[in-house]
Amino acid sequence: MAWNRAALTRREILEKCIALGSVSVVSSFPVAAVLDAFGQMEARNRRPTPPNEIGPFYKKRAPETAMLRAPGDPGMPLAVSGQVFNTRGDALSNAVVEVWQTDHLGHYDLDGYRYRAKLPADHSGGYEFDSVMPGHYPDRVCQHVHYLVTAPGHKPLITQLYYATDPVFEGDPDRNFSRDPLIHNRELVRPVMLTGDPKEIQAAVRFELVLELL
Amino acid sequence: MRRWHGPHLAFLLWFAPALFGDGQQLVKTLTVPPDAAVQSAALSPKGDFVAAACRDGRVRLWSFPSGELRQAFDLKDQRISGVWFSSDGTLLAAGGDRGAVRIWSLPSGKLKDELSVGARVETLTISPDLSLLAVAPAGVPAQLWDLDVGRVLTALPPKFAGSAAVSFSPDGKWLASADQDTVIRIYEAQTGALRASSEDFLLETFAIAFSADSRYLYAGGADKTISAIDVLSGKVARTFPKQSFVVGALRLSRDGKSLAAVYFDEKGFSNPAPVIVWDLASQSVRTTVQPGVAPNGGGFLPDGRLLLTSSAEGKLQVWSVR
Repeated sequence: MAWNRAALTRREILEKCIALGSVSVVSSFPVAAVLDAFGQMEARNRRPTPPNEIGPFYKKRAPETAMLRAPGDPGMPLAVSGQVFNTRGDALSNAVVEVWQTDHLGHYDLDGYRYRAKLPADHSGGYEFDSVMPGHYPDRVCQHVHYLVTAPGHKPLITQLYYATDPVFEGDPDRNFSRDPLIHNRELVRPVMLTGDPKEIQAAVRFELVLELL
Repeated sequence: MRRWHGPHLAFLLWFAPALFGDGQQLVKTLTVPPDAAVQSAALSPKGDFVAAACRDGRVRLWSFPSGELRQAFDLKDQRISGVWFSSDGTLLAAGGDRGAVRIWSLPSGKLKDELSVGARVETLTISPDLSLLAVAPAGVPAQLWDLDVGRVLTALPPKFAGSAAVSFSPDGKWLASADQDTVIRIYEAQTGALRASSEDFLLETFAIAFSADSRYLYAGGADKTISAIDVLSGKVARTFPKQSFVVGALRLSRDGKSLAAVYFDEKGFSNPAPVIVWDLASQSVRTTVQPGVAPNGGGFLPDGRLLLTSSAEGKLQVWSVR
């Protein structure tokens, strides 16, 4: 008989394991309550954010500022926000998120710290920054923001954020994300919400970050 | 050091127009099949061989200056990420995009060593006594291998990511790594024990080269300067005048008096960028050339000539700097 993964629920599998003796429940609470707690804990678990190359232009000692965009900067205003978790689902309030990107023309600032920031997470692991939509760097296919995320007791995460609106994807990132040979995982291409009126349109993106424990 | 410019800088090769600037002379053109475009190249220290990593997954080896094709090696069906000669020119190593490393003896072309590092080989270097190999896989710590027994001695971990360049000192005592966390680390070559580190760099270093007496490590990268690091202390002893371009590669002359630096423009890789030969004693410019062709390999010959290689329309050109 072919194995049918959908035939049994996770709970049914656990109950079967208990019946067969491969799982023991040692608790003063009823088995059903323990199974519920098990399920809830599993539901909190998160898959680690896929890593991506660090690229050549990381610069340390970036300023702690959430406003990367200076008044009058050309380019589409962009607001990025998210939360930092670990794979157990815990929000990491002691995480530090470093981001760096090009300006709207695709140029990195190597002499200073334009479009570079260090963002300590807030009490709920949250982070946010205001920037502009980066341009296309000459070496790269897609617009991107670099991330280095660190937290005590966790593996540093190096990854990149991409935008579903990138013209390279022609509106279909599911099919076209691999047009950038550095994008190995569709998950890094995030949906973009456009807000404001046509004269002052703004882009907003959420990017959750999940770190692995050491 | 990783290839010539480093893997994420290899795009330089694709933009190279077939032009030569002042101060350059075409010495040789080496042809490859149409589907085997040259990605990067290496010149043997004695100038008797040129090796090229080709896009058809083969390493081609020519005698130089005759231009006779000697061998074509493969790397277990992997794309070639770079080719390197040992400092005495008796070994040729190649790394692949899925972690294979093969080392051949020269001039026989016989396979000497074969190993895997698990991820795309960014760069590698062989110790002067040919017993050790330092190799940097993409995004993870570099590895120090004992080639005599074919095993990893130790890993060389940065705080995060991997290494951009690795180099043994000419006396064989030290191994330096320029790491992507922007720190330059000096290890005891035989053990991999960390002996000094330089944390003064804000940006990544792409190229390193030891002085002839092994006392200093020259380092250049995204900060557009070349720094001389005291190997024992890890302190920056002096800094060369800052340029407008990023340092992509460094080569020391055989007499130890000159340092060739290949620069590139991070704002556009097809933009003109110079090759500067620095006088090490005075830290002044000895020669500047503005290549119309982005170099992808080369070095100084025993007679003092600086030869550089570049790809154009799939061919490999060797040119000298006057």
